[in-house]
Amino acid sequence: MMRSLRVLGLAWLLHVKMMSRSAFDGLMAVIWPLFYATVAFFMFRTGHGSSSLGPIGLAAAVMGIWTAVSVPASSALQRERWFGTLELLVVAPRNLGLILLPITLAASTIGLYCVAGTLIWARVLFGIHLTIIHPLFFALGLIATVLTIASLGFLMAVSFVGSRRAWAIGAALEYPIWLVCGFLVPVSLLPGWAHPISWALGPTWGMRTIREAAYGGAPLGPLLLTLALAGVYLGIGVVVLRIVLDSARKRATLSLA
Amino acid sequence: MPVIEAIDLRRTYQTTTGVIRRKRLDVEAVRGISFSVEKGELFGLLGPNGAGKTTTIKMLITLLLPTSGEARVLGHNVVDNPREVRKRIGYVFGGDRGLYERLSAYDNLRYFAELYGVSGSKQRRRIDEVLELVGLKGRENERVEGYSRGMRQRLHIARGILHDPEVVFLDEPTIGVDPVGARDLRQMIADLITVGKTVLLTTHYMFEADALCDRIAVIAKGEIVGQGTPAELKGNVAGGRVTEIEVFGVGEEILARIRALAGVTAVTVEEQDQKQLLIVRTTGERELTQPLLAELDGIEVGRVASREPTLEDAYVALVTAE
Amino acid sequence: MTSLRVFFLGGLISYRALFSWMTPSIFFLILVVQPVFQILLFAYIGRAASVGSDEFYVVGNAMQYAAVPCLFAMTQTIAGERFQQTLSYILISPAGRLPLFLGRALPVILNGFVTAAFSLLVGGLILGVRFPTSVFGPLAVVVLVATLSCTGLGLINAGLGLRVRETSVLSNLLVGILLIFCGANVSVSSLPDWMAAVSSWLPLTHAIKAAREVVHGSSLTDVQGLLGRELGVGVLYAVAGLAIIRFFETQSRRHATLGLA
Repeated sequence: MMRSLRVLGLAWLLHVKMMSRSAFDGLMAVIWPLFYATVAFFMFRTGHGSSSLGPIGLAAAVMGIWTAVSVPASSALQRERWFGTLELLVVAPRNLGLILLPITLAASTIGLYCVAGTLIWARVLFGIHLTIIHPLFFALGLIATVLTIASLGFLMAVSFVGSRRAWAIGAALEYPIWLVCGFLVPVSLLPGWAHPISWALGPTWGMRTIREAAYGGAPLGPLLLTLALAGVYLGIGVVVLRIVLDSARKRATLSLA
Repeated sequence: MPVIEAIDLRRTYQTTTGVIRRKRLDVEAVRGISFSVEKGELFGLLGPNGAGKTTTIKMLITLLLPTSGEARVLGHNVVDNPREVRKRIGYVFGGDRGLYERLSAYDNLRYFAELYGVSGSKQRRRIDEVLELVGLKGRENERVEGYSRGMRQRLHIARGILHDPEVVFLDEPTIGVDPVGARDLRQMIADLITVGKTVLLTTHYMFEADALCDRIAVIAKGEIVGQGTPAELKGNVAGGRVTEIEVFGVGEEILARIRALAGVTAVTVEEQDQKQLLIVRTTGERELTQPLLAELDGIEVGRVASREPTLEDAYVALVTAE
Repeated sequence: MTSLRVFFLGGLISYRALFSWMTPSIFFLILVVQPVFQILLFAYIGRAASVGSDEFYVVGNAMQYAAVPCLFAMTQTIAGERFQQTLSYILISPAGRLPLFLGRALPVILNGFVTAAFSLLVGGLILGVRFPTSVFGPLAVVVLVATLSCTGLGLINAGLGLRVRETSVLSNLLVGILLIFCGANVSVSSLPDWMAAVSSWLPLTHAIKAAREVVHGSSLTDVQGLLGRELGVGVLYAVAGLAIIRFFETQSRRHATLGLA
């Protein structure tokens, strides 16, 4: 148990290091959401006026966590294969899941830079001020959102199995998650059939937790749901990974370039 | 009990050809390979590219499942007990990839130490030890992206032995490394035996196999075509002779006639810039230089030399035999 | 005649080389699925913010997304050749520069056009936005002009990409800037003055404005001023792009810079 935590911790740290040192993974992950945040601020300012921009700023900030994860997570195995390290990871006497989870967790952590970046951007350029009524729940909500997005990323990482189009699937999933998880668009505005999809997604509840914590509401329920869904994604991911690895050994797909 | 045992290992791949009308093809990469390696041996799998060396090694290190056959490492079946095998082996492969470029060598080693189960308290000391062993001490805090190929290879070896495995598998470890660097690497590989490890090495450099290995298995087209100590393999072609003739433009019909000469066992042509080197292996019973030159009448001929066969000749003979 | 061959064949072959890494499924995901979702995303944000109509966002985003293939494909074509180390061979070829690079631009323009047209139709369909059939003709012309001028920007991007290592960062930045400035989701009139000034010097701004007018029934003659300005911007960028490529090419001959990955 201790061992596993050590592996998780060290791997997470080193991947955060690597991602921070890359212009694409690090810098781009922070800047990209700012474009969308800016457009959103203009749109809402025109439509509803400046006073209501607080929640928008918050939403735009959290959207950044997803951006930081969607492509790196889905293409995690693909990247390891590109580095030539995938075989070394598979042959290690350790569950591959324990090695993959830190990668998506690191990406999600980079997402926190996005959150900070967007909030600063919102404050400096648009004068959007953030008031937080329940700071503890706010912090917990942020961490829970990072965890649930990392778990969702983990599920994606094992499901797309390093296929050559894994990164494209991750990229294509950026907008849908933004649309459906109630960030800038309230779930109530979506067609009825989309609501269950929203509710099954951890980020929806993570966003809810953060919003309730900031503006005073009931953040505990959403917080627990966020973490519960994170656990569910992890569980499914572990099962999928086992199936994938067995199949790869049989069909020689993992080791071939 | 042998440390590594391969019993009639086979591996077939299924590939598809074509884009619109996809056809499935069965490619037999490894066709019944059997050998065993004893403790403390440096064993070589020697063969040309595409012979099946890498596929064989991947089956032994549990990366690939054999289509049929059995393999055991340290008594553990590679199919049923992959985890037990993985704990006790090290895997090193050649080339630029396999390391995290944006991290320092030290961070790379920390990561793999943790992954491969080096206990926390011993990690720092062990990392220092292996860095010293491979001669990278002092450069461990530089990012790998600045390393030369030789340095990367040394770091690969360091990584492979971090967890002090009993068996080390090296897949073409000196490929692409300059001669001096390669020589140092070979010395490091040889040193692994002196500390009690067992080593299985794949290579397509025969001089490397000759210099390093206690025993060699020659692989071609998925099968073992010869096995034994370097001396034994050379013995297979002993008693024969090799005649090398520099020629300038020899065609297939002439080659065919030379092959048909009595006493000729094999003919190969090596392209060398402007000219070709005709290598004719003979049984050595008769002096064949005259008949050979007679067949080459009309073609410009340069240097003619006759010599004893080397391991290279044994290797080529084994590998090109039908 | 050789110039024409270089123009067509050279362009086609390099485009196919580019697509050796882009399989049909990747194409589908990035150039079909993503733009449609961008339209849906902003249409719904518009509803949430009570600003703009669905049609506003369909037209705006369909056209903005055309920039993606124009920027990326163009840069990839040229940077990709540097990666495969064929660029130096091309640059030392005696073929004229203009047909060479314009030839590479042709498939890119086609790609941009198809992407915009398709997402316009599909996005509109999903949101229930109906375009009267009479606007398709003029709209096609406007979209074509937009992709032409985006390709001009793509040439600058490609040129800069010769010196920058992480070319995709540059391309993404440009797509993001266009998202904000060109009026896709925020009408230029709602932007502060300095931003509106920048907008008028960027591709897509005039074309998007023209497209919105055409969709409301304006004829091509009505929007010809806008189209003219759009083409003008595009040509300006194309010329600048070719000049940058030329500059780095000469520089590399002096300092051997392009050979480095």
